[in-house]
Amino acid sequence: MKIRSPAILLAVLAIASVSVHSAEPPKKAPVIINPPPTAQDWVDLSKLPDWSGVWNPKITDQDAQVKTNPPPWNEQAAKKIELMFAEEKSGRPRLIFPGCLPEALPSWMLITHNAMEILFTPGRVTMLGESDGNRLRRIYTDDRPHPDVPDPTFHGHSIGHWEGDTLVVDTVDILPQVPLAVSEAAGVPNNGDMRVVERIHLADKDVLHVDLEIFAPKILTRPWKTTRIFFRQRARKFDIVEGVCVQGDLAERINQDGDHIFVPVEKTIWGNIVAPK
Amino acid sequence: MGQLSKVVGAIAAVCGLAIGISSVAAHHSSTMFDHSKTLTITGTVVELRWVNPHVSLSVNGTLKEGEEPALWVMEMTSPGNLVRAGGWRRDAVKPGDRVEVAFSPLRDSETRGGALKKLTVLATGEVFTANLREQEKPGLE
Repeated sequence: MKIRSPAILLAVLAIASVSVHSAEPPKKAPVIINPPPTAQDWVDLSKLPDWSGVWNPKITDQDAQVKTNPPPWNEQAAKKIELMFAEEKSGRPRLIFPGCLPEALPSWMLITHNAMEILFTPGRVTMLGESDGNRLRRIYTDDRPHPDVPDPTFHGHSIGHWEGDTLVVDTVDILPQVPLAVSEAAGVPNNGDMRVVERIHLADKDVLHVDLEIFAPKILTRPWKTTRIFFRQRARKFDIVEGVCVQGDLAERINQDGDHIFVPVEKTIWGNIVAPK
Repeated sequence: MGQLSKVVGAIAAVCGLAIGISSVAAHHSSTMFDHSKTLTITGTVVELRWVNPHVSLSVNGTLKEGEEPALWVMEMTSPGNLVRAGGWRRDAVKPGDRVEVAFSPLRDSETRGGALKKLTVLATGEVFTANLREQEKPGLE
């Protein structure tokens, strides 16, 4: 059959189109959670406290709190920690971050020896560190909730909001293998359901406090509160540098073809280089 | 030239260290070193490995004058912390430089390794330290 009239042809096509569409599920509008920032968003950022520069940790306070403010370990965890301290004291420190895995959260805040910087962009606070292969935390400040379906990671899922000049961060979905550590050689896996609440604020012009409350029901008898202290630096020598942890396990060499290559360095079970005899 | 061949030989020895059991991790505590003791060696730099999280320095040196030089391996904190707290640079020393190294030795006295405390470059008198806790106030220059 030939359709000669253009009007009839359009009508046929329209009917065909309706029938095709009616076979498909209704289309959902895409969920935009990262909208383009507005000029006002950038203006709003300028009203936040100044956290620019580089922040290095007060390690002597981390050391001191091992004795003055220990986590309320449950019986099982306490036994493991006690053994680890004994081993550390005897010169056999346990490797609690094997394979250069990230210190992760909350240990990054608790025991880091390295500096970090904190960046503000619309809807986001980003923390950049200097170890673990260039550590990074994304803290969403755009009112999004935690995901419905957990997707555990080393640093978990962090959402934050401002209460005055204090950034309040709530972090969940941290991998159960991630240790809660109080030193580089004493920490136990959180074993799941860990939640970390941080209140981050300037305690002085150039001193940042991170007040942590750690909920780790599988290893603690009650939530643990601690404050970690960071100092602001602006000198060139404090610029964050690339910190690829696994590079420490490799030596730079040139092979027979003249290519620059990495070769493994022999390490002891405690992580130090096997020294010559 | 003799000095150069010694350095090349020592690098080969360090390469020897680089073969064998697979590495486990670089991110570690330092209590395998006896921090209550300080020893000093004098010798020739073989290699400075400027890497995270622990810089290492290999030195062909002696504890006492007259001894046969032997290879020692020293470990430190990270490059960033050495720059900030100890005045280090990536080119602080180069292979062949004569140095004095003060260090805390490994508890295993059969091995020649330590945690470096102070490095002195003998030709210039330059001193580099390695205490990462010496940066605990704001606004450091």
